[in-house]
Amino acid sequence: MHISEGILPFPWALLWSLVALPFVAIGVRRLNLLAREDLSLKPLVGLMTAVVFIVSCLPVPVPTAGTCSHPCGTGISAILVGPLVSVLIAAVSLLIQALFLAHGGLSTLGANTLSMGVVGSFVGFLAFRGLRRVGASLVVSGFVAGLLADWGTYAATSLFLSLGIRGDAPLLPLFTRVLLAFMPTQLPLGIIEGVATAGMVRLLYRKRPDLLLKMRVITEKELPSHA
Amino acid sequence: MHHLHSHTHLAAHPLTRVDARVKLLSAVALLTMVISSPGSAFPLLACVLSIALCLAIGTPLRTLALRFSEPLFIAVTVLLLKLFFSGNSPFFSFSIAGLELVAHRDGLMEGVRIASRIMGGVSLLAVVGFSTPFTDLMAALSWLRVPQVLIDVALFAWRYLFLLLEDAQVVYNAQKNRLGYVGYRRGLSSFGTLAGVLVIKAFDNSQSITTAMVQRGYDGVMPRSLQRPFRMAEVTGALLLVLGMGAVRLLWTVI
Repeated sequence: MHISEGILPFPWALLWSLVALPFVAIGVRRLNLLAREDLSLKPLVGLMTAVVFIVSCLPVPVPTAGTCSHPCGTGISAILVGPLVSVLIAAVSLLIQALFLAHGGLSTLGANTLSMGVVGSFVGFLAFRGLRRVGASLVVSGFVAGLLADWGTYAATSLFLSLGIRGDAPLLPLFTRVLLAFMPTQLPLGIIEGVATAGMVRLLYRKRPDLLLKMRVITEKELPSHA
Repeated sequence: MHHLHSHTHLAAHPLTRVDARVKLLSAVALLTMVISSPGSAFPLLACVLSIALCLAIGTPLRTLALRFSEPLFIAVTVLLLKLFFSGNSPFFSFSIAGLELVAHRDGLMEGVRIASRIMGGVSLLAVVGFSTPFTDLMAALSWLRVPQVLIDVALFAWRYLFLLLEDAQVVYNAQKNRLGYVGYRRGLSSFGTLAGVLVIKAFDNSQSITTAMVQRGYDGVMPRSLQRPFRMAEVTGALLLVLGMGAVRLLWTVI
């Protein structure tokens, strides 16, 4: 991740862009609705995009896969602003990276938005909410959400990459090879992202629980006593 | 990410004054040709021409090298992967530490094709990125009917990206001076705190930005940038370029 410009053949690039489009459209609609109620939401989403941009701009080369690894940041954005708006955050951050940093690309924007935005955000969000529902603490839920969002993103990236470059070769062996190639960097990076997400949630709970309450991450009953 | 800061161009060069919409549409048309190209000659031609343009508009070599380092690494790796792990017709072989590596002729061709697509695509976008200010590109996207909310979010992100980067640097230095990155556990905990501080700063900044903007009349809608009318010379030039490159690509495919 990100899948570099030009790696995917035209039909695959077009297909993933078309699949990603409805998710971005729903994200746009959702943000428009929310921004009507709260004027500070658009600037907030813009700043969250900057945070995701910074976090996902720390590339670690993966020599065996012909690409690079990095934390995704979509786990925490999905926890805070919801998965639909998080898809939008990922799409904008990927667009800026494609245009000005040569990370990813315009032709692979759809595939990268799907893996980092859609898969990363939804996996992170569902893991967090699911664990909170069964009574897990904020820190544990945050850790698992960050970890699974990261690993989910890389599994999806491996699949898109394998489908794109396999030619006539069978899919499964190539997919397994690409997945294995990512592992030396992605297993530890996923854990780092999990710890970072847990650290963020813990810090917000200790210092600014009002923000977690505003973003409906916790309820009033869960506010710490000092708040 | 430091070459984001060195995103400079010679404003005097004619290409930097060309309408961003014309540049963007031409780049997308050429990019489509590059990634749908069946051979490697056309993408390589696009790459050479684009790099020449980047140098002509005054992009420093160091900035260009930094921009191309990651895609070049990816292109070379894909080339090697395809050369040694795909294809059926043996080309040459050698052994490293008892491991027999067989290179394939068809794998090499496929690898060169993908690598040239990567370099062609990246260099086309580099021309647009180096010759166009961010705000002009966003205005062009707005004209292309990209939803306004997406443009607004991108503009906010770009405006505050560098401030957040500076904040991150200050916090990181403070943590480092207090031995915050000595040992794995401590390092991970410090990294989590750093990321958390960035999120808190993002929240706080968004509140103060909103207050400041509301005081200046912000009601949730950002004013759109006005576009000047298209210049016939620019449109004709871009059309000739795209048609010319299209003809070259077609000729290469036929030959």
